[in-house]
Amino acid sequence: MNILIPHNWLLEHLETDASPNDIQRELSLAGPSVERIIEDGDQAIYDIEITTNRVDSMSVRGVAREAAVILNQAGIKAKLKPLSIPNPQETNQLPLPKIFNQPELSGRVICVVLSHVQRTATPSWMTKRLQQVGMNVHDSTIDITNYVTHELGHPCHAFDYDKLMATGGEIRVEEAKKGETFTTLDGESYATVGGEVVFKNSQGIIIDLPSIKGTQNTSIDDQTQNILLLMESIKADRVRFASMTHTIRTIAAQLMEKNVDPHLAGPVLKRGIQLYQELCLAEVASPIFDEFYQTKPPRPVITPLAIFDKYLGIQLSPTVISTILKDLGCLIELDETKTNLVVQPPTFRPDLTIPADIVEEVARIYGYHNLPSRLMPTAIPTIYPSQTNFDWEEKAKTFLSLVGWQEVYTYSLVSQDLAKTDGLTAGRHLKLQNPLTEDRVYLRRNLWPSLMEVLDQNPLETKYAVFELANTYIPQTDDLPKEELILGLASHQTTRQVRGVVEALLDYLFVDKYEFIPDQKQLVTTIYATARNSQSQYKLGTLAIKSGKCLVELEWKKILAVANTHPQYQAPSSLPTIIEDLTFVLQPQQAVGPIMQTMQKISPLIINVTFVDQYHQNTTFRLTYHDPQHSLNSNQLKPIRQKLVGKVERAYGARLVGKV
Amino acid sequence: MTIKQLQSAIQELKQTALSDATPGAQKHQTYLGKKGKFNLLAKKILDLSPVDRKKAGQLLNHFKSELETILAHSDAGESGEWVDLSIPGKKPDVGHLHPISQAIAQISRIFERIGFTRVRYPEVDWDWYVFESLNMPPDHPARDEWETFFVDGPTHPDLGKLVLTTHTSNGQVREMERLHGQPPIRMINIARCYRRQQDATHTQMFHQFEGLVVDKGINIQHLKGTLDHFAREFYGPGTKSRIRPFHFQFTEPSFEVDFSCHICQGTGRVGKNKCRFCKSGWHEVGGAGMVHPNVLKAGGIDPSQYTGFAFGWGVERTYSLKDHLNIDDIRLIYSNQASFLRQF
Repeated sequence: MNILIPHNWLLEHLETDASPNDIQRELSLAGPSVERIIEDGDQAIYDIEITTNRVDSMSVRGVAREAAVILNQAGIKAKLKPLSIPNPQETNQLPLPKIFNQPELSGRVICVVLSHVQRTATPSWMTKRLQQVGMNVHDSTIDITNYVTHELGHPCHAFDYDKLMATGGEIRVEEAKKGETFTTLDGESYATVGGEVVFKNSQGIIIDLPSIKGTQNTSIDDQTQNILLLMESIKADRVRFASMTHTIRTIAAQLMEKNVDPHLAGPVLKRGIQLYQELCLAEVASPIFDEFYQTKPPRPVITPLAIFDKYLGIQLSPTVISTILKDLGCLIELDETKTNLVVQPPTFRPDLTIPADIVEEVARIYGYHNLPSRLMPTAIPTIYPSQTNFDWEEKAKTFLSLVGWQEVYTYSLVSQDLAKTDGLTAGRHLKLQNPLTEDRVYLRRNLWPSLMEVLDQNPLETKYAVFELANTYIPQTDDLPKEELILGLASHQTTRQVRGVVEALLDYLFVDKYEFIPDQKQLVTTIYATARNSQSQYKLGTLAIKSGKCLVELEWKKILAVANTHPQYQAPSSLPTIIEDLTFVLQPQQAVGPIMQTMQKISPLIINVTFVDQYHQNTTFRLTYHDPQHSLNSNQLKPIRQKLVGKVERAYGARLVGKV
Repeated sequence: MTIKQLQSAIQELKQTALSDATPGAQKHQTYLGKKGKFNLLAKKILDLSPVDRKKAGQLLNHFKSELETILAHSDAGESGEWVDLSIPGKKPDVGHLHPISQAIAQISRIFERIGFTRVRYPEVDWDWYVFESLNMPPDHPARDEWETFFVDGPTHPDLGKLVLTTHTSNGQVREMERLHGQPPIRMINIARCYRRQQDATHTQMFHQFEGLVVDKGINIQHLKGTLDHFAREFYGPGTKSRIRPFHFQFTEPSFEVDFSCHICQGTGRVGKNKCRFCKSGWHEVGGAGMVHPNVLKAGGIDPSQYTGFAFGWGVERTYSLKDHLNIDDIRLIYSNQASFLRQF
């Protein structure tokens, strides 16, 4: 949470010569972070981030208290001024409402009746401060409560006393049942879900959503003359429950859900009375009602002296430690063993519960910047996770990028339309319960719809070829979804070009043996590869054509299973190899794959068949002949060549260009 | 013909080729064409005795590649042919690694160099690992900081709901479990994360990296040392880190981590003006802290024996602070526009 604090308001609680820049620097290093200083004419306004555990600092006085300790430690004189508010003269002019509290719901209820409240305009000094801290200005009667909250850090509420008394003059602190209705002071209507802590009157009507927001039926309006100024300490988790359930996130709620110190309520009430008397000429019309079920002070934290060395790596003298802790409001003593400090935190620091909390307090005030910086002298772990190989991921991605492919990062979350395009119904995807935008609702099961979308989003890039290595998410009945790492490729290039890239990648990863099995009807080719050690065959993935784009998806896990760190070197044979090209005229739409397989099977002496080129129906193949035992000569090749040409011509209706 | 004669014929032809000033293509035809001088010479192999033919074949093969080299050099202008040296180079088509991959690769190496092990954990995980084991029970106000996406799916009786990981910190207890609660741990976990927010500095999906070190005798000085190492390696010599108080439920003490600004060298001023690039000389990049005893316990590690530190922050933010990179809207990173990506 951030809080804005004008410099001169701070100085009402802090005595110091520190400049705004000093305050910004020193507070940020050792306490709440002053994110910036806003210049308002000649006035500095601090924009300060207060962490959620430090609700005690969410006020002008809270920051002043921190600043006093921090500035002193930094060698800049500073002192927290005492809070001197006169005790009000209590009277019996008007009766207090009857209050029925339940201590398990609210630890304290404190209130007073103020009469003859004049509806004066908010004075200019208060107007200026409220505006500086970003609050709306109404009139004094309303603004005083906001001002006091900002100054001291405990929310307070002013009821219209007469409205309250007209409906029975009772305040019952109760837990709401389901389906009860209330209308907040800004006119919004709500129905309870059950479990909210509410104030009800004698007829069971909700008259306040305490610690969160007032209701219309008891709030101040233009006619208000008498008010009931009240503070309560509803249990923090109950405040949070009601505030989150109805998404009423007022400043009051955000404070009270973080355990504001109930002790603060007394001074806040007195400060409120003082301001109502000064600005609205109000009179104290009742005694102060105060039902305070004194919560126990925070438990003492037994802190071993050795822990400071353990966390900081240096030995701080007990004097330094105790001075800092005392400055922060803790009571400390050594236990009987003289090895532990017994630290009693003040009531406003319920966040200090374990020795590490005490270490933090001492260390930050001592100054983290005063600690040395060095690397660990400890052992380096060598138990690595199985199933992952980040080096190969990088290797594969780098390879693809260097052969002309662009890596992209697309969202794991896709729209309903995109989820459907992968041929599966959207229901088979994991769905977000609370998506932020309609285009990011489902966790994808395939990469290619996202990659196709990238190509479509770059219509002028006719040569765009993109890839991504990312997870897909397959729902499981009783477990986490399966997250499968997929290498996806998509481009406008021809199937042959894309297949070539995949082949080159597999070669680069030293995959010994792979094959592409086409399904001509479905326009899909399935890619298989064999692992070197086990000789097991894995289905790596597919290459498909969709809407004129060529798409590949490979399962990374399977690639890891067949990839190798090194090749199996084969010494060149001393015996010659003979290479020759043969060109055939093929039938229209004749696939070359089966022809090449046929050629390969003609003789064991044919060790390789490659595709050279195709021009119209003329297709050239390159044959490599080799005999590992003997030196080949052309006489040996002649019958093989004749057999091959004969077979290809008969089986495929092809015709050799030239003669055997 | 004998082998010796063949050798001298080869030498002679080589000299002729070397001194021949005919332009490239024509010269190629003369020597290596179908009826070129090489083939004429090669045919003479038939005049040799069968015993010598193998050796002759080897000589001719070697000579052929020599000839190819000579002719290639002729093409390059050595033969006097005019070459335009002002023609711009013809680059091969190359793609690019995505900037996030480049950043991740650099980050990984920086930490691996000081003994960290990179790991990967689920992106869709149980509430227990993302929040509860990190000292954040359900409905805790600290959870507000993490705008969490919930996923329709099974609820685990012990581990709770399915969520998209809002940070890489789910790796902390998972890493402790992987090592059966036995330090030493030096983990670097880099992964996609998700939060329910979107503006110029936030995308619903982003990347974080998380460091975790647990062992006997680990203290704040080691965290500072590790952060300084990273700052120096990632942003260059002279870059410093600093830690300031903060609050996280899963670390105690907790810190905010800043790196000094490379534009103003940490002074906050450029000449007489305020540095526009940073807040008072420093950039806030992320959080860190000493691992909370409850988190160590959740991972099966005895906090009376071991201490540790953890840090984690966004890859995009860290990368975008690089010297003169000039990315001020991180949504660009996931736009996948060719015009953006090909600059990386």
